[in-house]
Amino acid sequence: MGFFQSLGVGRIVFSSDTSEEQYREYGKGRITMDSCFPVKALAGHMGELLHKDINLLFVPMIYSLPSFLKGHVVDTLSCTRVMMSVENIKAGFLRERKEFEERGIAFVSPFVPFAEPELLPKYLWESLKEHIPGLTLEETARAVKEGFRALEDFERKMREKSLEIIRWCVKNNRPAILVLARPYHMDPGIGHDIDGEFQQYGFPVLWYNYLPLDDWLLEWLFSKEIRAGIIRSYFDISDVWTSSYSSNTNEIIWGAKFSARLPWITGVIRLSSYECGMDQPTFTPVQKIVESSGTLFFKFGELDETKPAGSVKIRVETIVYYLEKYSQDIIKKKLSRLGAVPSQLLV
Amino acid sequence: METKEFHYRAYRPRPFTKEERSKTTILFGGLTWKHERLIQGSLERMGYKSMPLPNIERQDLDIGKEFIDVGACCPTTFTAGNLARTLMTLREREGEEGVKNNYLFVTIGACGPCRFGQYHESYERVLEGLNLTDFRLFLLDLLQMEQSAPGGGLEISMPLTFGLVYSMFYGDLITDMEYAIRPYEVVEGSTDNMVRESVELLYERLKNRPIKGKKIDSLIWHVFTGYFVDALKEVRRLWDEIEVDRLRVKPKVKITGEFWLQTHEGDGNYNIKRWLEKEGAEVIPPPVAVWMDYLINMELFKLEDAKGFVKKYYLKKLAIGTIAGLYKMVYNRLRKALNNIPNPLPDQRKLKELARPYFHYRLTGGEGHMLIGKALYAYLNRQAHMICELSPYGCLPNTMSVGAMAKVLGDYPDLLYAPIEIKGDAEVHAYSRCQMILTEAKRRAKEEFEEVLERTGLTVEDIRNFEEDHPELRRATYKVPHYGYAGTASNYAMHIAKLMGRI
Ligand code: SF4
Ligand code: SF4
Repeated sequence: MGFFQSLGVGRIVFSSDTSEEQYREYGKGRITMDSCFPVKALAGHMGELLHKDINLLFVPMIYSLPSFLKGHVVDTLSCTRVMMSVENIKAGFLRERKEFEERGIAFVSPFVPFAEPELLPKYLWESLKEHIPGLTLEETARAVKEGFRALEDFERKMREKSLEIIRWCVKNNRPAILVLARPYHMDPGIGHDIDGEFQQYGFPVLWYNYLPLDDWLLEWLFSKEIRAGIIRSYFDISDVWTSSYSSNTNEIIWGAKFSARLPWITGVIRLSSYECGMDQPTFTPVQKIVESSGTLFFKFGELDETKPAGSVKIRVETIVYYLEKYSQDIIKKKLSRLGAVPSQLLV
Repeated sequence: METKEFHYRAYRPRPFTKEERSKTTILFGGLTWKHERLIQGSLERMGYKSMPLPNIERQDLDIGKEFIDVGACCPTTFTAGNLARTLMTLREREGEEGVKNNYLFVTIGACGPCRFGQYHESYERVLEGLNLTDFRLFLLDLLQMEQSAPGGGLEISMPLTFGLVYSMFYGDLITDMEYAIRPYEVVEGSTDNMVRESVELLYERLKNRPIKGKKIDSLIWHVFTGYFVDALKEVRRLWDEIEVDRLRVKPKVKITGEFWLQTHEGDGNYNIKRWLEKEGAEVIPPPVAVWMDYLINMELFKLEDAKGFVKKYYLKKLAIGTIAGLYKMVYNRLRKALNNIPNPLPDQRKLKELARPYFHYRLTGGEGHMLIGKALYAYLNRQAHMICELSPYGCLPNTMSVGAMAKVLGDYPDLLYAPIEIKGDAEVHAYSRCQMILTEAKRRAKEEFEEVLERTGLTVEDIRNFEEDHPELRRATYKVPHYGYAGTASNYAMHIAKLMGRI
């Protein structure tokens, strides 16, 4: 939004949340190879937008992502399917006729490497200049900065919210749940609202990618290990994960480490889509990282377009039972391994 | 230390020291037996004992599934299973201590979020599953020349890296010869025997190669020496003896696909290359060297995109351009020693341009844009009648680029393209899909050959008669030029016509 607004784009239209209907109506038949649901869902989103009153369809190929772990890991790349799916689905729309052209919609899919600050504006400009007359590279670079600013703003607010939740837990001596997933599992059509189910039982839910990053908090959680020479910084994940290329995977791993240390996170919920190749090698390590500290771990795997509402409800009930039963013990045990609770948490 | 007690830590191999070198065997795998035997020669020259893992077998898939988390791609499952099987066999033979102390496993990795980069996570599950976490497993990045394993026992030095590069080149070139000759051999089995003999000869040469210098002097020697070319000239003399019959009309099938799957020869890809040959095709196998060339050129392309932002742009461009140039030069010198029978490496810039409307070149993983580029290149340049694309089940990038081929096929409906999903345990299905397209490819090869006969006015008998007077034409090492036809028999007939002065 920040980026487009800065360019002076008047109206920005988003596709709706993912749903089975959306995929069936607009996306089916657009993907020629079997894939995980999030990729298939993209076809539904693109198809839906083609039916809206727009003149430019913008679907970036996101190659690398901004990540708070940058500098502490090898790279922050996207899943290869995330970045490549655009070309795949585009082919699905174009193989028989020129569908975008017929609808008078320009299709723009720039290559977007967030981790390459010089190239990012260049690639965006190259793909947009034809469609936004007079657009200059400088303007695009400025808009990129605006976009980053908007993103940082949003993230800051989210992290503040997470801290607020943790403080509430401390004050009320209540446990929280941490979700480890891919960002699009926040979309109710992909994550099936599983996080929401827990909230209904009075458990606050934190997401791994918006955890608070305040120094005093991380100092409390990680400083012993830094002093022991096990890790070099709060954000070092090399003690548990030795090939840190993927941005989301890295953050999931870090989230797992955080959850294993923060006393009030007593349960971790792992969500994973059907046939997710990125998650596959992480299943055992993530579970072990979480469980090694006594934190409860539960996995909802193989999520796809069919919403398993009934079985989710039953599982959530069972998990809630365990959380109620063991949370206080877990909090105590985890607290006993750390120093005194920082005053900033006790406000 | 309290922190160590309750937090999970990733696997870290024990150090491997220099003193242990002579007593420890390095296990490695992932390529064809030819490449592996040659790598062994290179390693032995540097003072390492080594042993390739056994050939991949169907059972490795089941063993792999037992150890690693569900949802792995088919190559990872196979290779993890293969490692597990090897370690179990060794343990039975030499006991737990024997496996831990006398062997270690080295795998090349570290180039991305899926490809190779995370293989070792699965291998670690194998070690945990076998209760062998004390066994040493090292992940090495070949592109970082000075990298070494903790303890200093394993050093990636310039002479070792070049030894490995030549092993790879040799392996590729012999494989290319093999597939170009076997379908036409007059005496059945003569090609296979020659492949074995050639690989042994080259293994000896690699094992006894001189070590000249350590850094830049080593680089210069390896690039310009005649040592490696001379070895291949010896090989060529051996292949001279094989007699071929190039009048067998066969469809040419180019193999593309995910790196491991396309280069593999064994149950891991249903032995599809051999199967295709049995079904009457000539196969163009994919060399490993193309992959390295791709990686080098990608650096060049990326740099070009960043022109204006990069300091010392021209210097850097010159440096990478020189590496790319030398790489090709060395490969071509070696090809020439085999009378250019092995195929040249494709021009990476051309592949990128061909794929451009369909697939952005910076989308890496699987084969990236090469999947589309190579298919189009082969089609437009009449290199092959058909493309057989090997897609691993559960692969992240490959499925995406195969999907993007839909538009290519829309634009080039004549392109014969067989994407085969390899699951490891569904070969009948894969064969029958391939068979369908192969039937059409056979028809085209036949039509093409008939067209040549008509165009040149030659009959098969004329050609046979001409061959009688020119026996050198039936030598495996005789180079038939490309006359714009995909099929070997067609180009051969054209060539004869030219020699006879008919065209
Ligand atoms: S991260 Fe997993 S679910 Fe997401 S696109 Fe990649 S493979 Fe699919
Ligand atoms: S490219 Fe595909 S098959 Fe190869 S390692 Fe990656 S996911 Fe597996």
